[in-house]
Amino acid sequence: MQDTEESPAAAAPPGAQGPAEQPERPDAPAPPAEPPQLQPPEQEEDEKEDEEREGGGESQAPPEPPEEPEQPRPPSGRQSPAQAEPQPGSEPEAGAEPGAAQEDGEAAPAGPAEPEDEISFSDPEDFVDDISDEELLGDILKDQPQEADGIDSVIVVDNVPQVGPDRLEKLKNVIHKIFSKFGKIINEFYPEADGKTKGYIFLEYMSPSHAVDAVKNADGYKLDKQHTFRVNLFTDFDKYMTISDEWEIPEKQPFKDLGNLRYWLEDPDCRDQYSVIFESGDRTSIFWNDIKEPVQIEDRARWTETYVRWSPKGTYLATFHQRGIALWGGEKFKQIQRFSHQGVQLIDFSPCERYLVTFSPLMDTQDDPQAIIIWDILTGQKKRGFHCENSAHWPIFKWSHDGKFFARMTSDTLSIYETPSMGLLDKKSLKINGIRDFSWSPGGNIIAFWVPEDKDIPARVTLMQLPSRQEIRVRNLFNVVDCKLHWQKNGDYLCVKVDRTPKGTQGVVTNFEIFRMREKQVPVDVVEMKESIIAFAWEPNGSKFAVLHGETPRISVSFYHVKNNGKIELIKTFDKQQANTIFWSPQGQFVVLAGLRSMNGALAFVDTSDCTMMNIAEHYTASDVEWDPTGRYIVTSVSWWSHKVDNAYWLWTFQGRLLQKNNKDRFCQLLWRPRPATLLSEDQIKELVERRRTMMEEFRKYRKMAQELYMEQRNERLELRGGVDTDELDSNVDDWEEETVEFFINEEIITLAEPDSTRSCAEKKFVCFPTAYINFGILNPYSCTLEGWMHQIFSILTHCIPVSLPKPFQAQDGDLYSELLETSGACRDDMPSKEEKGGNTPKEEDRDVMDSQEFTAMREEINLLLAEQHRMVALSMRRGRSPQGCQSGSL
Amino acid sequence: MFSTDKQMGYQCFVSFFDLRDPSQIENNEPYMKIPCSDSKITSAVWGPLGEFIIAGHENGELNQFSAKSGEQLSNIKEHTKQINDIQTSRDMTMFITASKDNTAKLFDCTSLKHLKTFRTERPVNSAALSPIFDHVVLGGGQEAMDVTTTSTRIGKFEARFFHLAFEEEFGRVKGHFGPINSVAFHPDGKSYSSGGEDGYVRIHYFDPQYFEFEFEA
Repeated sequence: MQDTEESPAAAAPPGAQGPAEQPERPDAPAPPAEPPQLQPPEQEEDEKEDEEREGGGESQAPPEPPEEPEQPRPPSGRQSPAQAEPQPGSEPEAGAEPGAAQEDGEAAPAGPAEPEDEISFSDPEDFVDDISDEELLGDILKDQPQEADGIDSVIVVDNVPQVGPDRLEKLKNVIHKIFSKFGKIINEFYPEADGKTKGYIFLEYMSPSHAVDAVKNADGYKLDKQHTFRVNLFTDFDKYMTISDEWEIPEKQPFKDLGNLRYWLEDPDCRDQYSVIFESGDRTSIFWNDIKEPVQIEDRARWTETYVRWSPKGTYLATFHQRGIALWGGEKFKQIQRFSHQGVQLIDFSPCERYLVTFSPLMDTQDDPQAIIIWDILTGQKKRGFHCENSAHWPIFKWSHDGKFFARMTSDTLSIYETPSMGLLDKKSLKINGIRDFSWSPGGNIIAFWVPEDKDIPARVTLMQLPSRQEIRVRNLFNVVDCKLHWQKNGDYLCVKVDRTPKGTQGVVTNFEIFRMREKQVPVDVVEMKESIIAFAWEPNGSKFAVLHGETPRISVSFYHVKNNGKIELIKTFDKQQANTIFWSPQGQFVVLAGLRSMNGALAFVDTSDCTMMNIAEHYTASDVEWDPTGRYIVTSVSWWSHKVDNAYWLWTFQGRLLQKNNKDRFCQLLWRPRPATLLSEDQIKELVERRRTMMEEFRKYRKMAQELYMEQRNERLELRGGVDTDELDSNVDDWEEETVEFFINEEIITLAEPDSTRSCAEKKFVCFPTAYINFGILNPYSCTLEGWMHQIFSILTHCIPVSLPKPFQAQDGDLYSELLETSGACRDDMPSKEEKGGNTPKEEDRDVMDSQEFTAMREEINLLLAEQHRMVALSMRRGRSPQGCQSGSL
Repeated sequence: MFSTDKQMGYQCFVSFFDLRDPSQIENNEPYMKIPCSDSKITSAVWGPLGEFIIAGHENGELNQFSAKSGEQLSNIKEHTKQINDIQTSRDMTMFITASKDNTAKLFDCTSLKHLKTFRTERPVNSAALSPIFDHVVLGGGQEAMDVTTTSTRIGKFEARFFHLAFEEEFGRVKGHFGPINSVAFHPDGKSYSSGGEDGYVRIHYFDPQYFEFEFEA
């Protein structure tokens, strides 16, 4: 037992190594083909099982039927050894003390009688036997046949034809033929009345298990049109008799308020959550994904024994334990439900989050299928158990998109079950000879499956509508080696990747057969690929697909677009890619090509709207890539399960900008919490869009009206502003004056890293500002051009915005500052200006006159500023650019 | 035009000066004074063509006063609390109000017709209309007097961008550590500035993506 217990634990981590899509991975550990059978059941959870066990226990008790007490031994060798031993031992004892055997006297009259004649062992006349049988043969008496013994082996068959004695023998033959299939019938009884049988019979089997078998299989057997057998265990009659006639209303389960299970969707910042397992699985944490750093919500040690899974809509977090599965949710991650399944290894949620499928290799028994159990998540009840016969890939049961059906494939059959009854759809499986693979459409109850070639019959891909079982499309294919079914996420398209070996050739050729599901008759188009295919992926919510093809050193990625007319167009091919996996953003458009594991974690971020490579990066030895459910972020990680060093997860934007590097000790797995699909129906979304359109339309109408009014007022406005049009910024261009300003810049050498270039800059003493458009004190709005830059200098120098330049001025070989003061200082009252001092023209002497402290300080400041600006100009000129990065040909 | 505060027994007046007549300023004799007895004016702008002014009151009312006669042309009350700021669009056909009631509202200048509402969770101190796009930027945050008791995160001292027609927020700019008192777009629409209680004026240039960004409709 110890060994078997360890095997799941050992097997689970490698299984968990893969991402959440583990079930889809072919390398995931497949459930064993032959689960250990007939193991003694250990858990008492099923009534049936209990019953079974009772039966099993009983079979060791003496199976002698009460009707035949004179027969000391059972008629066949089927007696259990435990019982066989004490009986021979009991015989001499019985012989030695005939008194004790008095009651059995009838049973063994001859044997003990003979020796009595020769030697007298007889008791004296007055001997009183004060030893009870119980004391002497307690152990044997225990096995003494009881009246009720074997009652479990008796069945009652109703609806048996009523016949007279003449045909009784024939009836017995028929009955015997039917019922001896399940075990040897050792006794039968046909009650009679008025010379005819009563229509019901009693049959007794060798063991109760046969009786159970007979009940299971012969109940409902149709003998002929009038007679359908009803078979029951004799013991069941008691059970049915004691059922009270009044129906008791089952006690109402108190409603447990679990709080808002979708609270995380109400985050005001629209953040997403993710789960992280680290410290080699000992700790599990839940985080909010925040731009700056992850915000921890919950952190628990040993929350799970292997790995965790989110339910498809993100409501529950499932943790794995030796004894079963636990579901957590709500704001505080409280336990919501438990499912007891010993040694559970794999689980699968139905897309509607109503059912949970669990798999354990430990639990299966022949009579009570427990390898796979389907649970109701809301009530926690076991809905149905299944055997696991074949070693198919997990998930063995595939769910339809709405959770109404689930299906599994066994050799030559496809079994479709329906919920909530968990019974076979239409009570029978589909017989499909040689079925190799099947897949549900994610956008409707359509199932796709394929069967390989069989002699002259070509291979077939079939699309079948359910529950009508109508075949909506069959495609025949020749020389097929293998097929893979790829559905687009909305179910709009199906791509079947077909590997073929055309006649007369050796190599394998791959075709993509694209089924357009939304069109009448489901047209199919073919894309032929010349190279071998490494990966294929549909764009979710789109009509593009990406293909990785080529041989290892020369891998290319190609993007194709399925147009409405069915034409499949190659959009772009990128050569020489380091990639082996394709990860589409859940919203489409953006795709990350990753070279995981052997390719050292190369990452390429592609925008497929215009097919640009947005970024190329690397997360060395990355093993996993996970998009967040909104497609805003992507996480690459190095899992401890695959690589023992540098375990970390990195967060990137969808454009490939690295945001965070989160190193976690022995980090194992990161899973984003999925978001449910929008709650709005398609019509509601349409309505929303419509409302937005009308809003915009109304607003445009209003703007148009306002603009018209504005234009109407143009004349009045012109009049008010003295004929100057202020509507346009560059109106009255003619009135603008063009000035050339040249002024000397103080030489001040600031040591830079490159002294040579600095000197050359400093040698240039004049900076020529080309033109200054200054008009009515309005700052030219295009001030990021060089003119604007000059304005800035003026503003800095004079601490005010230049109002106008009154007349052309030429910088003298003298002081710049006086010029500037003259030109722009006029508008600044608190500064000493020439005019105030009474000077008319800038002269050297004037400057000396205005010798105030403020002035000197300011002057120094300005000189510094100018030198700095000068340096900038010079530097940028060297780079061939104007300071603001705009084109300026005038310099 | 300016208005005086209601304080120390003085009433709130709107005073009008004609700059063409320097004596009016020199002697501090406005050619017209409109008294506001009930609720003081907290913000005002000139209407198109300078025909009237639009004044926002402490109680959330909006009034148009004729610049010639001083009579009240129209009156509406769309805000429940004080109007902190009024700014017109570049063509002066519409204006946006920023109010303490956590909203900013867009009105037509001439008719005072309420067009749009932009809702936030904090008092709005200032709102400005983009000259080139149908965008509006709101500045505000927790009131300065409450700020010491809260962290910057709760204060929400962010400049928030809304689409004018859809009333939907599409962007936020953080940076101030006190409420934003004033926001303004550059006339070319390529940058905007915000002044905060923290004493900083922040000038933000838009990324190239801002100009490429288009709303889906």
